Amino acid sequence: MGERMNIGLDEVLHVAKLAELAVKESEMRRLVDQMNRIVNYVATLDEVPGDRIAEPFLAGPQSVMLREDVPATVPLVRPPSAIAPEFAQGFFLVPRHGAMEDQ
Amino acid sequence: VKAATVAAETGTRLAEAQHLNATLHWSQELLDAEAARVDRMAAPGPLAALPVALKDNIVTVEQPTTCGSRILEGYLSPYNATVVERLRAAGAMIAAKTNLDEFAMGSSTEHSAFGRVKHPLDPARVPGGSSGGSAALVAAGVVPAALGSETGGSVRQPASFCGVVGVKPSYGRVSRYGLVAFGSSLDCVSVFGRTVDDAGRVLSAISGPDPLDATTVDRAPMRVPKALPDLRGLTVGLPTEYFPADLDAGVAAALRRTTEQIRELGGEVRQVSLPNSAYAVPTYYIIAPAEAAANLARYDGVRYGNRRVGPDGDIRALYRTTRGEGFGEEVRRRILVGTYVLSAGYYDAYYKKAQQVRALIAEDFRRVFDSGCDLLLTPTTPTPAFKAGEKTEDPVAMYLADVFVCSMSLAGLPAMSLPVGRSEGLPVGAQLVAPHFGEERLLAAAQVLERTMDPLAEVR
Repeated sequence: MGERMNIGLDEVLHVAKLAELAVKESEMRRLVDQMNRIVNYVATLDEVPGDRIAEPFLAGPQSVMLREDVPATVPLVRPPSAIAPEFAQGFFLVPRHGAMEDQ
Repeated sequence: VKAATVAAETGTRLAEAQHLNATLHWSQELLDAEAARVDRMAAPGPLAALPVALKDNIVTVEQPTTCGSRILEGYLSPYNATVVERLRAAGAMIAAKTNLDEFAMGSSTEHSAFGRVKHPLDPARVPGGSSGGSAALVAAGVVPAALGSETGGSVRQPASFCGVVGVKPSYGRVSRYGLVAFGSSLDCVSVFGRTVDDAGRVLSAISGPDPLDATTVDRAPMRVPKALPDLRGLTVGLPTEYFPADLDAGVAAALRRTTEQIRELGGEVRQVSLPNSAYAVPTYYIIAPAEAAANLARYDGVRYGNRRVGPDGDIRALYRTTRGEGFGEEVRRRILVGTYVLSAGYYDAYYKKAQQVRALIAEDFRRVFDSGCDLLLTPTTPTPAFKAGEKTEDPVAMYLADVFVCSMSLAGLPAMSLPVGRSEGLPVGAQLVAPHFGEERLLAAAQVLERTMDPLAEVR
């Protein structure tokens, strides 16, 4: 992990784009500093030797076994139209995708 | 006692406690409706008329669920969480929804969009977090019990700071259906109580398998443990790594006192080692943000979240503006860290390695319990409650407030904080840890200690 410790402005902007998160210009310097502080800290896992590495962890005790995913109807006291930001004729309404504007 | 009387008294106490900023939603009208429902029950159950507060990331039909975030301000769930249904079936009354660090991300309840929660004993200090509102309400005597949630110590740490009992069950013991997801391999609904018995009775009522949560384990609900006369026959391990030389003097004194008490009660105490716990905090702060980044993708202004249309008016701008303006600073930071450690080129170095170290941490616990330890004893926190603003500028300093609690979350083990003394007037908690599904043993031992130790005694 050591060579990747310095996260720059461009990398934070790239990650923000992946995360679909608007970041204010005024916050960038602080965010870059804090991201570097956090990522450098978690890189202490480098100290764990590779030959001590076990198999990836499964949450909970061995008895937690995922069951077959059988869809079930959950009774709702409010319909989707009551909780959706915009809803009409059975559809959730969203703005157009920018890439579709020219079509 | 009629539930209506309890509801009226609870409402008075809630109104008097407003200065703590511990509640986000409550009303006397809803409390009275809860009381009327309980008073109509033919057999009100084991929690009859018990007022219970809920952390505001547990969904309820009748009150908003905001997760302490602007992005969910005013959100009304179309269903109740399973734990809410079970509490009500047992006769409990939902008293209030409590303040929290936004989306349960924090260790001080300073990261709520609706203002910080104040410590009931010293308003300049934090109650811990992220379930600080629930902890503060129980500590202030407003309610005898409350639900919080744990992803990496968010009930045990505030329980220790506030001087109340906080119990995190085994992963899979309590349904997470209706608990707003943060880190799905870690999240547990957990319980605060004035006493071990209060917490145990509530945990018993909400535990057990749930067809709506595939990660619940198919075994009977936890039973309320029978009272033990002493601790004879019990072996308690003290993990060396949890007693560093620079441990706060008051915390160290409180733990010495607890250790002596265990011996006096007939328990055997032995030194053990959990060497990989040293990596618990960095492991947690890779896994939890990675899972959070995935879970919080749904707050985009389309599926969930108050919509904010961006300047360009297209859907990508809608996503980014909704999320950028709706989430607070700590949540944004964790989403970015989580996205970074999951991104192409970094996944193996961070996320995969963290999952592997997580297995080593869990293996350490398994080895120690297999060697004959029934329980482990550690401090819950490295210091008593710190001052507001003390750690907000340095996220890593804040993360280290969880240094003794997040390894049990990573391993999925049951653990609890028990108040065992005070240092300069501030509560100190001792943490007890049990093997998977060892909650009954955990609570039974804690009850013996509770009965024989004065949590208000100065230890320094």
